[in-house]
Amino acid sequence: MSAQEIVFENVSKFYGEVLGVNRIDLRIPPGLTSIVGPNGAGKSTLMNLMCGLIRPDRGEIRVLGISPQEPERLMRITGYATQFDAAPRWATGFDFVASSLLLFGYSPSLAEKLAWRALEQVGLTEAARRKVSSYSKGMRQRVRLAQALAHDPQVLVLDEPLNGLDPVVRAETIALFRQLAAEGRHVLISSHVLQEVDAISDRVVLMANGAIIAEGDIRGVREEIHEHPSQFLIRCAQPARLAALLFERAPVAEVRLLEEDGALLALTRDRRAFTRTLTLLAAGGVPVETVVPADENVHAVYEYLIGGAA
Amino acid sequence: MTARFRLRQALVIARLELARVFLSRRSLWIYGLALLPSALFLVHSIDVRYRLAKARQGGTVAPAVIEAVETGMSEQQVLALAGKPGEDQQRTIRRWTRREEGGREISESREIRSRRMTYFDGRRRAVLWFEDGILRSKNVHEILNFAEDREVYAGVFQYFYLRLAIFFGCLGIFLNLFRGEMMDKTLHFWLLVPARREVLLAGKFLAGWIAATAVFTGGAMLAFAAMLWPHTGAGAEAYWQGPGAMHALRYAAAAAMGCAGYGSLFLAASLWIRNPIIPAAVLLLWEACSGFLPELLQKLSVLYYLQSLCPVPAPIEPDTPALLRLILSPAAPLSPWAAMAGLACFCVLVLWAAAAGVRRIEINYSTD
Repeated sequence: MSAQEIVFENVSKFYGEVLGVNRIDLRIPPGLTSIVGPNGAGKSTLMNLMCGLIRPDRGEIRVLGISPQEPERLMRITGYATQFDAAPRWATGFDFVASSLLLFGYSPSLAEKLAWRALEQVGLTEAARRKVSSYSKGMRQRVRLAQALAHDPQVLVLDEPLNGLDPVVRAETIALFRQLAAEGRHVLISSHVLQEVDAISDRVVLMANGAIIAEGDIRGVREEIHEHPSQFLIRCAQPARLAALLFERAPVAEVRLLEEDGALLALTRDRRAFTRTLTLLAAGGVPVETVVPADENVHAVYEYLIGGAA
Repeated sequence: MTARFRLRQALVIARLELARVFLSRRSLWIYGLALLPSALFLVHSIDVRYRLAKARQGGTVAPAVIEAVETGMSEQQVLALAGKPGEDQQRTIRRWTRREEGGREISESREIRSRRMTYFDGRRRAVLWFEDGILRSKNVHEILNFAEDREVYAGVFQYFYLRLAIFFGCLGIFLNLFRGEMMDKTLHFWLLVPARREVLLAGKFLAGWIAATAVFTGGAMLAFAAMLWPHTGAGAEAYWQGPGAMHALRYAAAAAMGCAGYGSLFLAASLWIRNPIIPAAVLLLWEACSGFLPELLQKLSVLYYLQSLCPVPAPIEPDTPALLRLILSPAAPLSPWAAMAGLACFCVLVLWAAAAGVRRIEINYSTD
């Protein structure tokens, strides 16, 4: 198994009679990977399996070559922010982060330094001396994130990390994820909100009913769905003329003139031929302003694959 | 990872966990349980000291004087012998008697002059009851009875403290170490640090043991001090200079070892069984019945080792049914060192079983 990837091989987990995940085969390279699916899809189960909080009934998991049953080694390179608060009633944000670092064997002074750095990364330095029990939902989210990344892990696993964050903090947090991923780390986040991970992920893993229904980068996944024609939203000054030209020259299945002025939606089963023709038309003087793939997003992909359950 | 590093990790876990155990709201009733004997002995001591002070106000007589007073003596004889009493109350009462005469029941009454005098010899209080100037009864009791207090302490320690307070206190403390955190949905914090599950178990057990020992050994010693408080005479001084310190140490050791023994059992139960109340009830029954079991089986109870550590045998109530006395056959106690070693081995075995349980623990908050 690769020492650079997170690998699931034929992994199944049942909670008694209830299915957690079933026959998962997955390889996750470095970068920002989002696990997306509705509640109960198996996202948290997958993360818990990865971090050794639960054991698979079948199959094998390796995180950069380490078994989740070796917490001494695994948790040195992994930080996991679960959905649940673990801070005791009396602990301040700083205490919570610093105390967990002591368990890594850091000296108190180094643990203190690393804790402040992590709290700064998540923008929580001002509230660090306040009790976690007095924090808002978003602040608790951030202190969990600080605890997960305080020891500078190679693999960061974050269960619904954007829940409860206000727009500004959400943007900062996403930027932090992107930065960590750009440094070559594995950043694995789960979400049931498709739009929020669409723009930020290098790759997505779509889950439903304990199984992976698609994985890869969104565009790649979309291209593999042949039953549904690709959709392009085109803005131009003469939509009716362009629609007629597309029908005449391009392999389109359908063209809809939208109520919005100067916009049309074209559906095609041959993306390459369609874009080539459109380029030629634009070069030939048809005033095309913008062309945007209308269904190259997680939401659309999800809808095609499981009928819009998310 | 070296053994030294793991030991350090266990100590850090214990340190962090200690604050949780001590400050947990769930611990409040445990403090009450541990302090109950101290409170009882303190109330008793305050009462004794008050009665002593009150008795001393009336003056004291020599102990021989109290011995010399006998029923049948007249008031004058007693007053001549013992002097002015500490308390002296006189009143007239009417006493009714019935007798049969010629098949009829006749009631008669007559007035009696009664007098109640008390004398105090510094330790004992004698209450003398006179009727028509003649001493009818003499009731001598010790306000301060050191031997009796020590026996009461032994009884409270063995019947209440070991069997109930430490038992239920450890149930509360050690069950919460894992099961409580599972219910609070905070256990994952410990499973997401780079530590072996066995190290986590050791750290948590250590925290639970330190907390339980501090609370219950502290409670036992406070009660012991409260019991000793009013005893200031030569007897108490001799006791303290003689076996007293060793007795205190053995009570402390019994409390600490009780916390270890019951603690390890409840910790293991919480890791293996979802509802540990059932094994706790079974254990309570087993411990309660241990005195009636064959000698070999008695050695499989925590109480056997703890009783071996106790310096004073627990008194058996005089009104215990004869049949119970007959079948109650406590096994011969071990020496204190052998009892401690035996209980330590027992704890190691139970913790070994608990280690197998902690390795298989999974976080599944929705079902726990």
